[in-house]
Amino acid sequence: MIGRRGLAGLTSVAAALLLWFVLTTLTGLVLPGRFPAPAEFWQSLVQIATRGYAGAPLLAHAVQSLKLVLLGFAVAVATGVPLGLWMGWSRRAEAAINPVFLLIRPIPPLAWIPLAILWLGLGDAAKIMVIWFAAFVPSVINAFAGVRAIDRPMIEAARMLGTPRWRLVREVIAPAASPMIFTGLRLSLQASWTTLVAAELVGALLGIGFVLNVAQQDIYPGMILVGMVTVGLLGWATTWLLAMAEQRALAWNMAARD
Amino acid sequence: MGSIRFDKVDKVFGPQTGGVKALDSIDLEIAEKEFVAIVGPSGCGKTTCLRMVAGFEAPSAGVVSVNGKPVTAPGPDRAVVFQQFALFPWKTVRENIDLGLRNKGLPKSERGERIAGALRLMNLESHADAFPHQLSGGMQQRVAIARAYVLDPEVLLMDEPFGALDAQTRVVMQEELVRLARVNPRTVLFITHAVEEAVYLADRVAVMTRRPGRIKEILDIRSVREAENWDRHQRIEDVMDLESFVHLRTQIWKSLREEKGPLGV
Repeated sequence: MIGRRGLAGLTSVAAALLLWFVLTTLTGLVLPGRFPAPAEFWQSLVQIATRGYAGAPLLAHAVQSLKLVLLGFAVAVATGVPLGLWMGWSRRAEAAINPVFLLIRPIPPLAWIPLAILWLGLGDAAKIMVIWFAAFVPSVINAFAGVRAIDRPMIEAARMLGTPRWRLVREVIAPAASPMIFTGLRLSLQASWTTLVAAELVGALLGIGFVLNVAQQDIYPGMILVGMVTVGLLGWATTWLLAMAEQRALAWNMAARD
Repeated sequence: MGSIRFDKVDKVFGPQTGGVKALDSIDLEIAEKEFVAIVGPSGCGKTTCLRMVAGFEAPSAGVVSVNGKPVTAPGPDRAVVFQQFALFPWKTVRENIDLGLRNKGLPKSERGERIAGALRLMNLESHADAFPHQLSGGMQQRVAIARAYVLDPEVLLMDEPFGALDAQTRVVMQEELVRLARVNPRTVLFITHAVEEAVYLADRVAVMTRRPGRIKEILDIRSVREAENWDRHQRIEDVMDLESFVHLRTQIWKSLREEKGPLGV
């Protein structure tokens, strides 16, 4: 059941792998010290998967990273989406919160790392906080924009029907804004992964970012590539799960787009 | 129950001084179970009149009242049918119709009965579990009308409800609305720019001037309809052929034409 698009995707992945093989192993155009050959990558993968590297096997590193991302993402969504909905709904809330938001927003999430470590130490909490800050912004902005883009007659229809406030939020405003909310969730998830690796580069004892850090100090290109590929695959898998959830939640909207 | 009254109503958009005056001293009384259509050039404020009865806008001066009480907020006693349907696309037809009943806190069995009745009334029985996007524009507007009727409102407010429909669907819906108004009479305020539609549907037609909108004249259609027995005809085109219909229509057309701007638009 691979469609035409799936086939095109597989073809380009296969082509990239072939190019990799040709440039490294076959012709030697790229030196092993710069970028590992497929065989070297495979050896590194076997090593970390079976005997472990940087203090733990690959699975333990991956689970740790996945846990931090999902926790940070969940906290960001659980706080960001309601805040965005509220700002979108209430001009007063927007007027009060937006100035603070505009000041905090340009601060790169990674600039919070020193403060997070100072507050919360070197454990998971500091990393979750940094991921939260990074993933928070897209969730807020898109939920906000989603509410602002709702057709006025739809809200008026709900009010004319006598819809009480919480039901209005739950059954009208949130679903009407949900296509934008999901856009925000996708961007938040992306931000979570981006930030995670950076957060783990500082003061972690487990996780993919830590693997990358150790491999860099060991000057071990094969292992660096293993770490990068692992992040790529985990990011892809979580994005795919989110897309599935979106498709289910927005079935009414997808059909309307046909 | 269900009388509407505009008492010297002004509406200014923007600042009170220097804003745009949309309505100027509107006086209009609509009796219980009367069907009144407002026609007027675009931008004359006819929709604003309806929105003030609905409670979406407040008058800048004067009073809009329903049953003698000034309107303060929207509510299910004044159901609105919008030009763009304004259905909830994530709810099925049944759920769309149900929302207002749930808001009233009615028990499930009664809601079920009333929804079934509304579906039957609007010929929607086979589409109860469809989503709005699966329906044609005409069917969607039937759902919106069912959603309004099921509340058993005293007042029905229809804002160019057939404006977004194609010509054939429009005719069918107009005939259905007449049938509905006979079976289940309501106080109706109907906004349209289609003169034929107004004459065909309404008991009285109010003609508005261009902005700032005033009521220019009110024509009594009902007495003519009853005297000439329009209801003996089933089809709208037969009614539209009647001399008495043509006469009223032409009268309104002439009245509206006087309101065109200097460029004739």
